[in-house]
Parts: sequence; C-alpha cells; structure tokens
Amino acid sequence: MKFYVCIKQVPDVDAPIQIKDGNLIQDTDRMILNAYDASAVEEALVLTEEDDDSEVEVVLVGPDKAQETIRKALAMGADKATHIKTNGDENFDSGTYARILAKFFEDKEYDVISCGKQSQDTDAGLTGGMLAQHLDLPYATNAVGLELEDGNLIVKRQGDSGQEVIALPQPCLVTCSNDMNEPRIPSLKGIMQSKRKPMESVELEDLGLDESALQPKTEVTGYMEKPGREPGQKFEGEPDELAEKVAHLLDEEENVV
Amino acid sequence: MSTLLTHIAISDGKIKRSSLEVLSHLRQQAEANGHDTEAVIIDQNASQYVDQVKEYGPSTIYTIEDPIFENHRNTPLLKALGQVMDEADPHVFAFGSTESTKDILGALAARQDAAVLSDVSEFELTDEGIKARRPVMAAKILSDSVAKGDKILVSVRSGSYDLDESSADSEVVNLDFSIDESDIKATLRDIIGADSDKIDLSEAETIVAAGRGAKDDEGQELINELASVLNAGIGASRALTEAGVMDPSLQIGQTGKVVSPQLYIAVGISGAIQHVAGMANSKVIVAINKDPDAPIFDIADYGIVGDLYKVLPPFIEELKKIKS
Ligand SMILES: Cc1cc2nc3c(=O)[nH]c(=O)nc-3n(C[C@H](O)[C@H](O)[C@H](O)COP(=O)(O)OP(=O)(O)OC[C@H]3O[C@@H](n4cnc5c(N)ncnc54)[C@H](O)[C@@H]3O)c2cc1C
Ligand SMILES: Nc1ncnc2c1ncn2[C@@H]1O[C@H](COP(=O)(O)O)[C@@H](O)[C@H]1O
Repeated sequence: MKFYVCIKQVPDVDAPIQIKDGNLIQDTDRMILNAYDASAVEEALVLTEEDDDSEVEVVLVGPDKAQETIRKALAMGADKATHIKTNGDENFDSGTYARILAKFFEDKEYDVISCGKQSQDTDAGLTGGMLAQHLDLPYATNAVGLELEDGNLIVKRQGDSGQEVIALPQPCLVTCSNDMNEPRIPSLKGIMQSKRKPMESVELEDLGLDESALQPKTEVTGYMEKPGREPGQKFEGEPDELAEKVAHLLDEEENVV
Repeated sequence: MSTLLTHIAISDGKIKRSSLEVLSHLRQQAEANGHDTEAVIIDQNASQYVDQVKEYGPSTIYTIEDPIFENHRNTPLLKALGQVMDEADPHVFAFGSTESTKDILGALAARQDAAVLSDVSEFELTDEGIKARRPVMAAKILSDSVAKGDKILVSVRSGSYDLDESSADSEVVNLDFSIDESDIKATLRDIIGADSDKIDLSEAETIVAAGRGAKDDEGQELINELASVLNAGIGASRALTEAGVMDPSLQIGQTGKVVSPQLYIAVGISGAIQHVAGMANSKVIVAINKDPDAPIFDIADYGIVGDLYKVLPPFIEELKKIKS
C-alpha cells in the first residue's frame, strides 16, 4: 500500500525567542520536524512494517533549508520524499499549503495521506481538513490510534467526550496527534541510508497552480508579548502550615473554594 | 448590513458554553457595527435549545434537526453547515473551538473558499474582515492576524469572552436536511469512554491536575479526594496520559485541552510550555511541587514547595473544614 505523509519544518518552540518591532526573532534559528508529523511518520512506518510492497513517501512544501527535515523523516525509515520548493519568504497560510498539496496529489495514487493534527508553532490545525476537502477524501482528524483492516483505515480520534472509532474506506486522509506513539530516534544506520534514498524536487511554479491559489486569505501582521501574570507567592516550610495557609488564602483572598 | 452567524454546539445534551460566549461577543460586535446577529443549532434535538439561545439575542435562529446528528460525524455536519451558509450568507461565521469544530473547520473553509482563523483568543470586525489575536509558539507569545474577504470563519478558545444575555424575540427558521447514508463514506463504529456525568474540563470552574509526581496509586487517590472536596474536574499532564495512568481526554495543554477555570491546582507538574499553553488563562493557579525551581512556579499565584504526599493530606483536611 502507498502511504503519503505530509511533513512540515517548523521553528523549535523550546528555543529562546524575542520580539523586535513586532517581528518574531528566534535566536538560534533552530528548525525541526513538526512533532505531530513525526508521529504521523512513525505510525505510517509501523502500519506498513509487515508489508514488503508498501511504500511510505513524505512530502514537504518549503525552502531548501527544509531538506534537513526531509532527511530526518527518511532516516526514521520513510522510503522516499518529494520536496516542493518555495523561496521561504512567502507568507503562506494553511489554505495556501493545502492548495499546493492538493495540486501535487491531483494525479497521484495512494491509499492513505496522513498529516499532523496541527503545526507546533501556529497550532492552526487546518491544513489536513482542507486537503481532504480539495481531494474529496473521507477523513478524520486528531487521531490517537490507527489500525489497518482490509481496505479500511480504522481511526480512533479524540473527540469532545470520549474517543470516536471511525472506519475510513481507502483512499482517505487522517491527521495525527502525538498521543498515538513515541516517534523513533533515527539510528546511525538510518541516517547513513537516508542519504541514498530518493528525494525528488519539484519547483512550485512547475506544479501549474494559478497565481490566485497562492494568495493567502489570512495574514499575520505582528507578534507581541503575552501580558504577564502578577508575580505570585511561593511558600517553603512545614507542609502542614503551608497547606493550611494556602487553603485559607484561596478562601479568604481569592474566594475560589 | 451583513450577517454575523454563530454555531451553537451541543455536546452531551447541553449547549457548549463556549458557543454562547462567542454569540455574546458577536452580538456586541454586530451592535457596534450595525450588523445582524444570527445563530444555528444542528442537533438531533435542535429545537430543544432554541429558547436558551434566544436569551443571547440573535435576530434569527436556524435549526437543523435530524437523528444523524446524535454523534459527531464530519460529513453530515459539513453538509448542514454548508446549507446554513447558503441560507444565511454570513460575512463571519464563528465557532467555539471544540474538538468537533476543529474536525470540520478546515474542510468547511476549503469547501466555501472562505478565509479562516482558528483558535483565536480575541477578534473584532474591521472594514476588510476581521482582526484576531492568537497564542502561538506553544502560547509563549501572541500573534495578530487579519482575515480578509466576504466569507470568514473563526473559532474562539473557550473562556475568551464573558456571557452577556440580551433576550430577543428571535425568528426561528427550521431547515430541512437529508443526506444519503451512501454519501457518508466514513462509518462511526464506537465511542469509547464518553461519560456525560463527567465534568467538562473546558467549562470547569475548578480543576485539579496531576502530573508525573502524582503517578502512583496513593498520588491518584489524593488527587481524587482533593477534586471531590472542591467538586473539581480532574485533568492531567501528558506524562500521565502517556503512561496510561489517566484517560487521554483529560490531557491539558497544547495537544490536549485548553482550559480557563477560576482555580487550577497543578500537583506534581513541572510546567513545561506545552502544558502551560493549555492552562495559563486560569484565574488563580496553585502549584504543589517539591522542586523549588520548577517552571510552574513562575506562573503560579500560590506555590507550595513540598512533597505532595505530605502537603495534600493537610490541604484536603483544611479545605474540608472551610467547606463545611
Ligand atoms: C508537541 C508537543 C505537545 C505536547 N502537549 C502537551 C500537552 O498537551 N499537555 C502536557 O501536559 N504536556 C504536553 N507535552 C509534553 C510536555 O513537554 C511535558 O513533557 C509534560 O507536560 C511533562 O509532564 P509532567 O509535568 O507531569 O512531568 P515532569 O516534567 O516529569 O514533571 C514532574 C514534576 O513533578 C514533581 N514531583 C515529583 N515528585 C513529586 C512529589 N512527591 N511531590 C511534589 N512534586 C513532585 C517534579 O519536581 C517535577 O517538577 C507536549 C510536548 C510536545 C513536544
Ligand atoms: N508546508 C507544508 N508541507 C507539508 N505539509 C504541511 C505543510 N504545511 C502543513 N502541512 C501539513 O499540515 C499539518 C499542519 O497543519 P496546520 O496546523 O494547518 O499548519 C502538518 O502537520 C502537515 O502534515
């Protein structure tokens, strides 16, 4: 079977950041594989492990610099990759990426397309659903477990109350939570092998998208610090006394118990 | 004059408070800008909720009532939402940011060729569309965004706006709905662990959240006892949902739920940014952690440095006294 996993390179949210004149500056410029996509790759590898005829291909839309992220997915064990190249200075939103990916998939054959449930930096969570709509595929989002069952992908998704178990006939699309697995760390052998795995580059212009399809409908106009919380009080000492003191503060000062 | 439409989400037989928060805000925006406020209820018992929605003053309430909406399923919901958009032609269509909303928002935007901003914490109308503020980078900072065009979808984090009643004699429009089962390619086979008596974390007034420090049986017992004294919802950090100690639906944070209670008590939680992303908007935060340098203390109003096994028993006793 053919699995496509859409992966994105995102800034590492754990690295220090600054805001200067409304712009976001990441001191280290450290970019990583979106954590939710790492889970999607992991799950695709696990699901196809037993089947020699299956293939896991990753697709990334991004600048040259993003190739290190593609290599990471290949080193985890994906078989091949397509890199749809952008300049990196475009202000694309989820809608733009979804239209680009939809154009790419237009003439492809596949059983499952999987995405991350959201980008770790923006938390938008939109691209997967958009792509499913463009390709007219049955889909489910926020998967916390996947299984294959002849011709169906069985998705357990975290819903508002409880987990919904959904059977999607293939071809279908799913977006993955990082709650479904612990993505493997590439082995040395995996890293060596990744260098020889096929990576096809496609120029964005060559996809033949209309100029209008590349126009984002939303735009980030600036970044700002979060309003800080009032500094709190930290108590150390005898547990009994601290417990009593804080219980009374919650009652008398805050009126929340 | 344009139409500002709010989706009223129903879950476990109740209107999600976040929908009414959004409706309250949208009506204020409409009043300030001379627009029209409308609402839509899509549920197996949609008409049952009309009176409650009238209290929030929309001029029109659309209902789509069909047994197919007993459980969340994206295909019929998308069809119904599309039908309402054709009927109401909203300039802005706003949603509370529930898991069900997250499931359909992208697909609806693509289907309607609409601009969309998800999970915003604030938004307002502008001449061109809407301007919204969203937490980004695991909620370490905020971004300002604009969405342009004549059709804009927006979903709003729960707890972003206060409820504001302003009763109106709304016109009720029932829309007919039908869908061929064969058009629904996905089959809902089962729902696991749904419990309508459980306190909904996204609406809870008080939350007791447990982390790796409270992983063992004794820790869990103390958490349960504390929650029961305070009539609180129980939440968890990823460390505990990942270890299978707590149900995945209880996870709070970037992957889990975003909550905004009056009181949040974090027990044995270090305060990683991905956890804080889900709870930093709590009104009062209490942290109990034995590590005086744990980052959770940076955002806690009241920090207790100590072993939770020693702190919780007297804390529970004292709260019992206060409550009685
Ligand atoms: C993309 C992504 C998304 C994520 N989403 C989420 C999310 O939604 N929610 C979430 O929670 N995490 C999330 N995480 C994981 C997050 O980064 C942390 O790993 C996690 O929150 C840690 O949980 P914890 O605080 O319980 O455990 P730890 O970090 O291990 O902290 C345990 C704490 O307990 C204290 N402790 C131990 N014993 C005691 C005792 N006897 N008494 C008192 N204190 C004690 C310790 O001092 C320590 O501070 C995400 C990570 C990623 C990469
Ligand atoms: N540039 C991109 N290249 C490949 N996949 C992408 C890209 N942008 C988004 N995606 C997919 O969409 C998911 C995130 O969607 P969103 O939160 O809307 O940004 C990611 O986890 C990827 O699976």
